Amino acid sequence: MQFSKNWLKEFIDIDLSTQEICHQLTMAGLEVDGYEDVKSKITGNDSIIKLDITPNRGDCFSVLGVARELAVINNLKFSLPKINKISESFTDDINLKVCKDGPIYFGRTIKNISLKSKTLPLIAERLKLSDQKLIDPVVDITNYILLELGQPLHAFDRQKLNGDITVRLAKEKEKIILLDDQELELDSSCLVISDEKAAVAFAGIMGGKASSVTDKTNSIFLESAFFKPTIIRGKARKFGFQTDASIRFERGVDYEIQELAINRASSLLNSTVGGEFGNTINKTIKTQLPKRKNIEINLNRANQILGTAIPKKEALRFFKGLGLSPQSQGENIVAKSPSWRYDLEIEADLIEELARLEGYDSLPQVSLKPVYKKGNLKPESLISNKLVSKGFNEIITYSFISEADNEMFGQEQNTLRVDNPISQNMSFMRTNLISGLVNTCSYNLNHGQENQRLFEIGNTFHLQNNKKVIETKVVAGLMTGNLALDNWNKKSDEVSFYDLKGVLTDLTSLFDTPFSLKECTKEFLHPGISASIRYKNREMGYIGTLHPSCLENLGLKKNIFIFSLEIDSLELKANSKFKDFSKFPSTSRDLAFLFDRNVDAESIQTTVMQSAGKFFKEISIFDIYEGEGIGPNKKSVALSVSWQAMKKTLLDSDIDGAVDKIIKSVKKDLNGELRI
Amino acid sequence: MDLDSLKQIILDIESRATSDFDSVNTKSDLDDAYRSFLGKKGEVNILLKSLGSLPQEKRKEAGKILNQLKSTLESGYAQKTISISAQEKQDKLNQQKIDVTLDGFEDLKGSVHPVTQTIKDICDFFERMGFDIESGPEAEIDYYNFEALNVPADHPAKDMHDTFYLNNKGLLRTHTSPVQIRTMEKAKAPHRIICPGKVYRKDSDLTHTPMFHQIEGLVVEEGASFSQLKGLLNDFLEDFFGEAVELRFRPSYFPFTEPSAEADIRWKKNWLEVLGCGMVHPNVLKGVGVDTKKYSGFAFGLGVERMAMLKYDIPDLRAFFDNDIRFLNQF
Repeated sequence: MQFSKNWLKEFIDIDLSTQEICHQLTMAGLEVDGYEDVKSKITGNDSIIKLDITPNRGDCFSVLGVARELAVINNLKFSLPKINKISESFTDDINLKVCKDGPIYFGRTIKNISLKSKTLPLIAERLKLSDQKLIDPVVDITNYILLELGQPLHAFDRQKLNGDITVRLAKEKEKIILLDDQELELDSSCLVISDEKAAVAFAGIMGGKASSVTDKTNSIFLESAFFKPTIIRGKARKFGFQTDASIRFERGVDYEIQELAINRASSLLNSTVGGEFGNTINKTIKTQLPKRKNIEINLNRANQILGTAIPKKEALRFFKGLGLSPQSQGENIVAKSPSWRYDLEIEADLIEELARLEGYDSLPQVSLKPVYKKGNLKPESLISNKLVSKGFNEIITYSFISEADNEMFGQEQNTLRVDNPISQNMSFMRTNLISGLVNTCSYNLNHGQENQRLFEIGNTFHLQNNKKVIETKVVAGLMTGNLALDNWNKKSDEVSFYDLKGVLTDLTSLFDTPFSLKECTKEFLHPGISASIRYKNREMGYIGTLHPSCLENLGLKKNIFIFSLEIDSLELKANSKFKDFSKFPSTSRDLAFLFDRNVDAESIQTTVMQSAGKFFKEISIFDIYEGEGIGPNKKSVALSVSWQAMKKTLLDSDIDGAVDKIIKSVKKDLNGELRI
Repeated sequence: MDLDSLKQIILDIESRATSDFDSVNTKSDLDDAYRSFLGKKGEVNILLKSLGSLPQEKRKEAGKILNQLKSTLESGYAQKTISISAQEKQDKLNQQKIDVTLDGFEDLKGSVHPVTQTIKDICDFFERMGFDIESGPEAEIDYYNFEALNVPADHPAKDMHDTFYLNNKGLLRTHTSPVQIRTMEKAKAPHRIICPGKVYRKDSDLTHTPMFHQIEGLVVEEGASFSQLKGLLNDFLEDFFGEAVELRFRPSYFPFTEPSAEADIRWKKNWLEVLGCGMVHPNVLKGVGVDTKKYSGFAFGLGVERMAMLKYDIPDLRAFFDNDIRFLNQF
């Protein structure tokens, strides 16, 4: 809301600089968004003050409300504007009917008005400073009252109304065309103003087109009503709009101001458009008005929570200024929420009022005492440290991805989707982190970064039975380009599957969760250069190079290697214990075997380990050869096997038997021939 | 030959040998010189053989002075051998000199994302104060995101959060506050928790991204007061920025706190909003079964990107999610 500073003088005699007023308002919880000094021919040296009102302070959506706050803060006298009584020249024949959701209705007919007359200059100027467009003298005055008193008014064309006026709930599918030409289909949760034929206004939100004031209007019927916040809340929003009236009614309008508002409007209309005024008609269901609750506050408790020593006398003065009619009752003060405050219900609310008026800044400040807490190591930070030390950059990408990316990298079924995405490119919740990594890689390739190592740690989302969301924390990484930076001495090698596998091995060595790699069927991975990472036969992730057709789709030329691993099921290693090692030398033998091409390293190693005897220490594969001289679909694998004993130096005779056993087992289990 | 002329010859040999040894620069030249004096056919040996022509009684003395010459020349040779070998080593070292100003071979740089780093910095402070780190789901339901936090259906306070709704009738959490509720439902008071995480709001412009990070803090214990809240946040901000910051508190509104406050810091002359906070609303505490006669609580929430932008002088919020390696490598 914005308004002219000098308008405040209708209510209080304030003589402070705009800067000081703005500071006071901000520090009282009415945040000033900004102010601007203006020199006006009509209002003199003035300022425009822009306020950002929080939803609890509906009472401050008016100049009156802001003036009332300033009056309490500065201990000023607060008074309502003077209103000239207008003589009534006829008695209205409209009958009013109200209901529990709209329990107060004031109406007044004014005949023979002149819409050609101009809005009073002061009103026009104040509306302009409030960024309100001038429309016609009638609408301008209703807008003026809304801004000044916070009471939304509505003017109907009297001649377009048919008979009596009723405030009622809409019928199911009842249609209404509003002032701005939109046609709404209402339901029985909406409140309308109706004449004997149809709904003429969407109560508290916007008037209807059919009964609206036009340049041909000769008589008007002015409405000043009270609708309960609960019946207005969410209604305009449901149809995708808001109005100045709906914003005020849903936050709560003072239920004692309707008469003042219609009188103030009448007086202003009388001096602008003239006309003959009927009597003010009114219908109120008193039992349906919001209750003025008694709220008890224990001053000791309030002072304890705020860390203050506010004396009772001062608390009483604050509450009185706020219109709370406080009563002292022993230790306590009993206050009543005023008709304009909907946010005061319990003791905590009054404690805030005390704190506000005392000034948050002047409340004391003490340090919180630390308490001991057991340390707690998170797998993510171990993973992150490890990957960063290996040259990986951590990235953070949006959790929502495009439909195309979901199709390429995600799962077509069981996806969680955003019903109201910011754009269609952000409508699917990711089921893995691959698209974010690949898109970031692509972005950086476009910016000249050839060698990339990226990782992200984040949640993935899967929908179960169309209802339950399974969120899983995942780490995923990507490598592309060269293993190191080229330098003046040598060109670096291109990254391979085994480089990323090395990273993964290093990563998983942090945890007590032994993995095995099995065949993988991810559609976006190369079928021959990929593996599923399994723990206890459950897939926890995968590693591989992107499928060539994926690369082609993305317009990428170099190989991209990725891995993904669920974090939640990783078990942290227990504290390490020292393991003794041998002080005697180890002995090793190199052996080369000829295998069928499909015999994998893991089976070779297992076979050797199982047949290498009790002094076996380790096995490593140091060369693999395929090609000329050994026949098609064959490979030659060279192994180095070593042995070591804890208590002696091994002799040839200690291991010759083991070597023979290895050669026999390799032949028997894997059909491997020793090469000589 | 008599003894005197022998002495004369010896003096001559000694002076020539010394000068020859002196003038050579390599081991092989030195050895050549050595051989010409002390070799089998060297001058000294030849002279030794000629001693036979001396009378018997002079021979002994002649042998003595000749042996003296021999040992003088041997030691001259030995000294020169050491100095030549030292020189050769020095020459070799000089030849091995490299250009140390050529670039070293660097590995690829790794980096922690500034948002993660900021979360870590913030959580470290609160862990030292005895807070537990808690987390909760990002795909939430209305109850935890709004209702349990004292935001009833259709309440205008919902306008403060533009919510993304999901196809399972759930929503993406608009703040980390649901973790408060989930934690208090799980465990009994007292509580000191800090909850970092991603949050989502339907907002996208220069200063808003539809996903960002928040950190929520909650203290529920006997005697928890607004003064402690002020003190804690003041200490935290000093720890985070590494120096005292000017901080002010002003009233604000959050449905789940009462009194509610906004904390601003003085930044380059202007006041800048960095934190929302307040005493936990009794309705929230009662909703999770906390005895409000015994316990009171305070809570606070802050935007991680905003804090990182201030700390690292990052001008553009979007940089966090572009993940440009030239940006990431700076942290």
